[in-house]
Amino acid sequence: MIETFNSLMMGFSVAFQPQVLMYAFFGCIIGTLVGMMPGLGPLAGISLLLPATFGLNPIIAIVLLSGVYYGAMYGGSTTSILMRIPGEAASVMTCVDGYAMTQQGRAGPALAIAAIGSFVAGTLGVIGLMLLAPTLADFALRFGPPEYTALLLMGLFVLAYMSGGSMLKTLAMAVFGLLLGMIGIDVMSGYTRFSFGITELGDGVGIVPVAVGLFGISEILMTAGQADPPKVQQPSLRQLIPTAGDLRHSAAPILRGSLLGFMIGIIPGSAHIISSFVSYGMERRLSKNPERFGHGAIEGVAGPESANNAAATGAFVPMLALGIPTGPVTAVMLAAIMVHGILPGPMLIQQQPDLFWGFVASMYVGNVVLLVLNLPMVGLFVNLLRIPYAYLYPCILAFCIVGCYSVSNNTMDVWIMLAMGVVGYVLRKFGFDLAPVALGLVLGPMLELSLRQALAMSGGEYSIFLHRPIAVTMLVIAAVMLLFAIKPLIFKGKDWRSKVGLDEPADS
Amino acid sequence: MNKRYLMAALLLACGAAQAQEAFPSRPLTMVVPFPPGGVADVTGRPTAAALEKVLKQPVTINNRPGAGGAVGNAAVANARPDGYTVVMALSSITVIPEADKLFNRKPAYTLDQLAPIALVSADPVILVVHPSLPVKTLKDVIALAKKQPGELSYSSSGVYGALHMPMEMFLHAAQLKMRHVPTTGGGPAITQLLGGHVTMTAGGPAAITSHVKAGKLRPIVTWGAERHPNYKEVPTFKEQGHDIVYYIWAGMFAPAGTPEPVMKVLRDAVRQAVGDAEFKAQMARVNSPVNYLDAPDFAKYVDADAKRLATVVKAIGRVQ
Repeated sequence: MIETFNSLMMGFSVAFQPQVLMYAFFGCIIGTLVGMMPGLGPLAGISLLLPATFGLNPIIAIVLLSGVYYGAMYGGSTTSILMRIPGEAASVMTCVDGYAMTQQGRAGPALAIAAIGSFVAGTLGVIGLMLLAPTLADFALRFGPPEYTALLLMGLFVLAYMSGGSMLKTLAMAVFGLLLGMIGIDVMSGYTRFSFGITELGDGVGIVPVAVGLFGISEILMTAGQADPPKVQQPSLRQLIPTAGDLRHSAAPILRGSLLGFMIGIIPGSAHIISSFVSYGMERRLSKNPERFGHGAIEGVAGPESANNAAATGAFVPMLALGIPTGPVTAVMLAAIMVHGILPGPMLIQQQPDLFWGFVASMYVGNVVLLVLNLPMVGLFVNLLRIPYAYLYPCILAFCIVGCYSVSNNTMDVWIMLAMGVVGYVLRKFGFDLAPVALGLVLGPMLELSLRQALAMSGGEYSIFLHRPIAVTMLVIAAVMLLFAIKPLIFKGKDWRSKVGLDEPADS
Repeated sequence: MNKRYLMAALLLACGAAQAQEAFPSRPLTMVVPFPPGGVADVTGRPTAAALEKVLKQPVTINNRPGAGGAVGNAAVANARPDGYTVVMALSSITVIPEADKLFNRKPAYTLDQLAPIALVSADPVILVVHPSLPVKTLKDVIALAKKQPGELSYSSSGVYGALHMPMEMFLHAAQLKMRHVPTTGGGPAITQLLGGHVTMTAGGPAAITSHVKAGKLRPIVTWGAERHPNYKEVPTFKEQGHDIVYYIWAGMFAPAGTPEPVMKVLRDAVRQAVGDAEFKAQMARVNSPVNYLDAPDFAKYVDADAKRLATVVKAIGRVQ
């Protein structure tokens, strides 16, 4: 413990060097701006900035990039809440209740809670990273394909709690998402599926263009279809600050989201994307009034936002302790230190203590910077809503197109986004919820890959899932969740859905 | 019909006019068909920086990832052959059209559409096993695999990918059967092995070195033609009696039909660029050995590699 404390002090002596501090600050600002650009998320942000770090020293490079990373995580919630445009998959769930709050004139509290939740989650995440990194990293390695499959199945059963609409419509949308996920090259066999000879579809349909289209573009189209333009909001200062009730409602979701996000985040792979979905489902399940979700429940913002920030920090555990990338973002960050001749690996913490502890300390600093940066800015951001829609929406549309294109310099992504905007518009007109589409699209390819990898490992024996303790445990939890989820389908009328008149009783 | 001829003539005239201008008179684009931070990217960026010095024009990197490199390669294959668009491709450039053939797909591009400029780097892969596996040499591996046919397993960066090819070469040469667990990249392939979910994989020296040093992976044999300078104690397949060689290489191509004088400028520029001290230092930092070949030799190299890999792809056949 003393040793950790001393190391941390050494880390702070690195992090407080004026140059390092300055770059941490820059990183946070750039990240926030990138995150606020519709369609641009953390991955795009750090990919675009990576070449610029080649000329810096490795500590500064990683401090700058990680600032951009969690800055973009913070910033991503801003557009989700104000304009219903998710910058990346993790903020899809924030769109639902966050935007509902905005429409009720409560954008201020939503943004403030998102910032506070992110701060708490980020800080708890760093503490976890600092104290537990080596221990947790070895645990994370035990997550092979079978464990991953079980985890994703758990994620799938969260669907039941995700949507406020009828169960049938939710499942229909989830299937639509899973089907979209089928497009592209099958990793196991090399076959191209449903790509119609378009090379760009080889990697499948990206989640970002789909999410921006379904949520953002469809919202713009919906507004255009209204007879009267929506009223421009003029929030007063009082409305900007979360009430005591807001804070009380958010405290538990923030803590739960932080823990959940961190645990999911340390697992190698891209499972961290599902942390915000799982958190949302969990909060709804635990809530006494689940019908408030989808109509501006602050828990629906607090939980997922904390979860995705904690997951972002958790992802650094295997990266720093083992030198393995947990996802595309950490892969780029590893490249950033590799170009400086530092080989990331299990010895990194011993061989490069400056780098590790300086990085940890700079994350404490970064989280404070982001809170200080974001809370006062809430007022400014909310004032964006004063811009008349006739000017605001064309600008958003232009930003969406530019942002979507710049992720991989691909016009196909822009077409997907626009097509999904139309699809989203039609589906919303028919009263379908869109969040399950996003979850289906995220889960489908990952679940398929890990299931088939697990079966490849065992030579086709399904018993592999029963021989591995972690996988068994998670499958049992998933089975229990499934039972809870289908209970209302079997015993009609015992669910909140029927209480609020969403599912009609069987005999009516 | 006449109109079309007229157009063609006009286009030719334009092309000729441009070729007469001193090349390059405007910025060049180097397409990297993989995301930032990958092997192609960390090779492409120093190369582009060194080329800028020689050509006195900016060389911008354009990452066009997708479909295992097919998107970026196809973009350059179909670009205007004026020398202003080049690609920093990896060895997978020869495998993609072969896999397309196997599945009767309309190929994204063919090798005839690309003109080799120069080989920039080449790195052999090394067979690594989980330290819990009771094997020290290639003979042990083969003996164990023969004793438990189809029980050992290996991870790769993806089916027909850069790490699947060498493993299949080895398995065919030694007539072994193993389970194949494809993943989505070189990083995840090593992660699977570190967790003990598979028993071995083929890895690039840069990706495995820190794990080998920490005792988490054990190197067995290399696909290189000779021993790797950082792994002097690891024998080659050739020494062990198997005639197989495999390198992951990075090289530059222009669209086929680029005028000869322009090609010459590009080739000369790359020759000077790889001699640049800063370039060498950068490549050493990412553990990527510079391995330069000029166009004629590089073309032969690509041909030989393409033939070798085509055989492997056909031997694997369609994975069921």
